[in-house]
Amino acid sequence: MSTVDAPAPPRTTTVVPAVAPWWRRSAPWVLLAAGTLGGIALQTQLYTAQERVVGTVFMFVALATAWNLIGGFTGYPWFGQVGFFGLGAYVTALCMYHLHLSFWLSLVLSGLVAGLFAAFVGVPLLRLKGHYFAIATLGVAEGLREVVLNLPRATGGGGGLTIPTLGPDAPTRWLGNDGFYILFLLIAAAVVAVALAVSRSRAGYALRAVNQDEEAAAAMGINTTRTKTLAFTLAATLTGVVGSAQAFRIQAIYPDPSFDTSITELAVIMVMIGGAGTVLGPILGAIAVQYMSEWLRENYTNAHTFILGALIIVTVVLLPQGFVNYLGDAVKTRRFSLLDNVRRYRL
Amino acid sequence: MTLVVEDLHAGYGRVPVLHGVSVSVARGDIAALIGPNGAGKSTLLRAATGMVRVSRGAVRMDGRDLTNAPIETIARAGIAHVPEGRRLFPGLSVRDNLRLGGWRARNEDMGTVLELFPRLHERLDQVAGSMSGGEQQMCAIARALMGRPDFLLIDELSLGLAPVIVEEIMARLGQVAAEGTGILLVEQDAGHALEVAQRAYVLENGRITVTGKAAELAADPRVRAAYLGV
Repeated sequence: MSTVDAPAPPRTTTVVPAVAPWWRRSAPWVLLAAGTLGGIALQTQLYTAQERVVGTVFMFVALATAWNLIGGFTGYPWFGQVGFFGLGAYVTALCMYHLHLSFWLSLVLSGLVAGLFAAFVGVPLLRLKGHYFAIATLGVAEGLREVVLNLPRATGGGGGLTIPTLGPDAPTRWLGNDGFYILFLLIAAAVVAVALAVSRSRAGYALRAVNQDEEAAAAMGINTTRTKTLAFTLAATLTGVVGSAQAFRIQAIYPDPSFDTSITELAVIMVMIGGAGTVLGPILGAIAVQYMSEWLRENYTNAHTFILGALIIVTVVLLPQGFVNYLGDAVKTRRFSLLDNVRRYRL
Repeated sequence: MTLVVEDLHAGYGRVPVLHGVSVSVARGDIAALIGPNGAGKSTLLRAATGMVRVSRGAVRMDGRDLTNAPIETIARAGIAHVPEGRRLFPGLSVRDNLRLGGWRARNEDMGTVLELFPRLHERLDQVAGSMSGGEQQMCAIARALMGRPDFLLIDELSLGLAPVIVEEIMARLGQVAAEGTGILLVEQDAGHALEVAQRAYVLENGRITVTGKAAELAADPRVRAAYLGV
């Protein structure tokens, strides 16, 4: 036992640099640039069909990364992401079909509309937490689909809407498989760049604090309502942009596939498997899940969804905190055993 | 230059807890608020920092009315609350906890608080939730001090800590107060609190029953019998 009269500890404290050296700070940006260039290089090696598959991977990288802003960093389980995806898709379709606006302008408008709508519904929704937030946002997405279905004059209702992409009626010519590959690559890169910037900003710290303990975060002087709403708005804006690009790619859009809940579910699974609250996690998760899904579809055509589901369950049980967080923990504690990991997270 | 709580009434739902409590702390002073379980000590702190609604009465800092202001407004005004159970961000590193403490004041300089609690220095990269109770308490106080508050309200500092650690932390609080921060210590274990405080209050059943200089209270036979266990 130490005694009460022990001498005060030596005052040799030096101020620890809070900021990492420049090469560590710029490393993620260099990796992002390299990844983007790699994506462009990869295109030369792909067939048209493969191009479409990889383009979809990029789309999910963007969706998962956007989901992670509110679902991962902030800890609000957003089960209504597809609502904003569909909203973006329909804004673009309506702008191009009825107003003959160019795709690029429609893309921007789709992001803005999705963001504005999120800011509007976010204020009441973000007062809810956990399951309640999840269910309420799910309801918003379903509600949006119903709105689209019940406005047949504008949206074509269940009959869908076909964006004119050829001939004199087309406000913007269809971009072609090569064009859409590049478009989705750039969108994914831009969304990751936003996540990277948020992750290292003051706002990023505020989001993590809200995730850990909202009242304690407020006690640090953080305006939690504003912080959450901004994150939600940002995530919805990016999702709307992705929806817009996807609408233009598939041209003929219908309410059910545009507001398909499985799109949200996939994004959630990708973030969970990759590692919530990290920038790298959703990227790896999206690539892994999409690649696995395509590979199984090709090789086990009859059982592929069954096997994929089983794999997802096993992964989530073994890596409850996601791959990137597991790797971080394991390197820090030098314990790489997966069983250890399961025990640590008490599953 | 004082934090004043005046005739405060507050409670949870329909259950009133505080029935007109008045307490004040001057900058540079330490005041102790002692009392038994369920007296309303934590409620008083929570009401003062906007976490519980005040139904009557006022919270004022240097004449500025902060009654029922949002939590973050009160924090920004310079009142830091170290809550019961510490409420660290358990999944974040000590460094990130401290950085968040300095979020409002944009204070990145951890040197001062690390000098106060050198033990935290070795723990900077450790996840806050994995530290011992005493270290967590130090981290909670250090985090609050990162915001350079004018007033520091500490709830049940000694709860679950070894007496040696409590003495170490209390000694540091004396330093903090000497540098111009007003501290309100809420304690069930009155001994240490009455030693470092200048002024003290006894809260029982939502009312202040005894007030005076800390030394006088420590000598008061009723207080000694009820809270010092002698």
